[in-house]
Amino acid sequence: MKERYSLLTRDLDWEPSYVPREKLYPFTSYEGIKVHDWDGWEDPFRLTVDAYYKYQAEKDKRLYAVLDGFAQSQGHLTLSDASYLNAIKLFIQGVTPLEYAAHRHFAYLARYLEGPAPRFAALCQSVDELRHCQTQIHTISNYNKYYSGFHSWSKMHDRVWYLSVPKSLFDDAMSAGPFEFLISISFSFEYLLTNLLFVPFMSGASFNGDMPTMSFGFSAQSDESRHMTLGLEAIKFLLEQDEDNVPIIQDWIDKWFWRAYRMSALVAAMMDYMLPRPVMSWKEAFELYFEDQMLGGLFPDLEFYGIKPPRHVQQAIAEKDRLSHEVYKILHNFSFAAAFTTSTPTQDHMRWLSEQYPETFDRYYRPVWEKHERIEAAGGRAFVMGLPQLCQVCQIPMAFTEADDPSRISYRRSQFRAETFHTCSDGCQWIFEREPEKYVQAWLPVHQIYQGNCGGPTVPDVLAWYGIQEGDNGEFKGSRDALAWTAWHAEGTTGSSNGVAKEV
Amino acid sequence: MAVKALYDYDFPSADRAELFGDDQLVYVHWDGNPFFCSAAAFRVPRTMPFGTFVSDVVGPWAASDPDFDPATVGGWRLFDDEIHASPHASLADLGVGHKGLLHFSTVPAA
Repeated sequence: MKERYSLLTRDLDWEPSYVPREKLYPFTSYEGIKVHDWDGWEDPFRLTVDAYYKYQAEKDKRLYAVLDGFAQSQGHLTLSDASYLNAIKLFIQGVTPLEYAAHRHFAYLARYLEGPAPRFAALCQSVDELRHCQTQIHTISNYNKYYSGFHSWSKMHDRVWYLSVPKSLFDDAMSAGPFEFLISISFSFEYLLTNLLFVPFMSGASFNGDMPTMSFGFSAQSDESRHMTLGLEAIKFLLEQDEDNVPIIQDWIDKWFWRAYRMSALVAAMMDYMLPRPVMSWKEAFELYFEDQMLGGLFPDLEFYGIKPPRHVQQAIAEKDRLSHEVYKILHNFSFAAAFTTSTPTQDHMRWLSEQYPETFDRYYRPVWEKHERIEAAGGRAFVMGLPQLCQVCQIPMAFTEADDPSRISYRRSQFRAETFHTCSDGCQWIFEREPEKYVQAWLPVHQIYQGNCGGPTVPDVLAWYGIQEGDNGEFKGSRDALAWTAWHAEGTTGSSNGVAKEV
Repeated sequence: MAVKALYDYDFPSADRAELFGDDQLVYVHWDGNPFFCSAAAFRVPRTMPFGTFVSDVVGPWAASDPDFDPATVGGWRLFDDEIHASPHASLADLGVGHKGLLHFSTVPAA
């Protein structure tokens, strides 16, 4: 097997004879990274293509059996509640297109990395990412038959305001050099933070009766652990190749930890507010998967190479008691313009939040939710009529507070070529000021609307351009999904439950 | 530190003032009211009188909070500095430039 592996991977390489090496691999030196020996790469997964396909085909068979069973037994009616699916809408709109983007860029690395072993690793990951994109589309499309918000997700990813958060992160990574991409996606995103995304999402799915999502999650998770191993191997390889690489890598860790962490704020809101049956709080997940495993386990190992924990990590720790609350408030303020619905948390849910966040919830957030409760009891529903100010780097509305004061919004501002740029935190400001030429081009949805580039000046114009249809957005209570859900469950008592949302 | 690239990396800002003609972007934050997740962004003429800006632009947005009372609005700041604006002075006269951030607070009526 070892020999076969070597024949099918490393031995497929050759020395160029009629073009110079720099012409064949034009992208591997301009970032300043020095690689002396590409064969020093330890292959993190010793797989051959035929073994890889056999293994993945078996996983796919199991996944599609679960999907068929769920569809045939009207499994969507056994979810905890239709409101749960708002988290899955965020997933297909926000995460699935990133899988496709990752597929594209790893395919590019599979051509342009100079060593045959890293090229093969990138090829496997490229195929994995494409498979993840496909399995997610297949899994989630079942819900599209019955529920709103799932129909135009790839168009929405390119256009809708909150989806510019994940999109801009990947656009940033894909427009960097190959080594920065490896540190951004393979290491900072997949190694440092992917557990925070996949584990809670999939446990949330399981707790709320969504077996198909849980199954694609498990199927993907076994690949994710391979991707994490690739991230770790990539960073160790680069650090071992040359001491001059260390400060470059540190800079990338500092940048990409913060960018990926900011994007994961959407997961924080999902975990704490969008699951009818919550699994664990964002704070608990952050402590376990990031503080214990990464800061406590990984970074002491990396210290050997001269690598320090990410700059601004203390701000992330300081925010763990408030991140989800601040982000869900954004979604709740503006869900009239989103492709999902939101609701004010119930009193039961608030009790859970209060237990999970004894230092902050009752003091800073409960009063606002109780005000929404009073407005709704009087027959209203408060949305914020206007457009939010956005951070130039992470593109999230400027809703985050100062590390030492949860009652004060954190404003940072920079001047570049006589223009003012606003950022939400020390982390985003540092990223902006490091490469302002890159971020001045940011496609900020709010400013694009005001420039007339998003379908027109009114809310209905913009929603139509986003591809949002009636029923996708606004308040969950009384929404098309909520009414259909109630009607189907009433029908269920008489034996018929094969409803279609459009009929309600 | 400049962007590391294989070519001369020089692109204009996507939101530079010239793209907005006689208008500009202005941000407004209601200090101390957590009902609003963040400050709001508006596109307004540079020549708009401050009084009109407050009544016709800020007011409808602030009224998203049903407890908003226009009579209580005050304590205006441009970034970190207090401003005492005449309602007739234009935004440009007050030094509120493209992407300027204004803050206000509300004092409940006694």
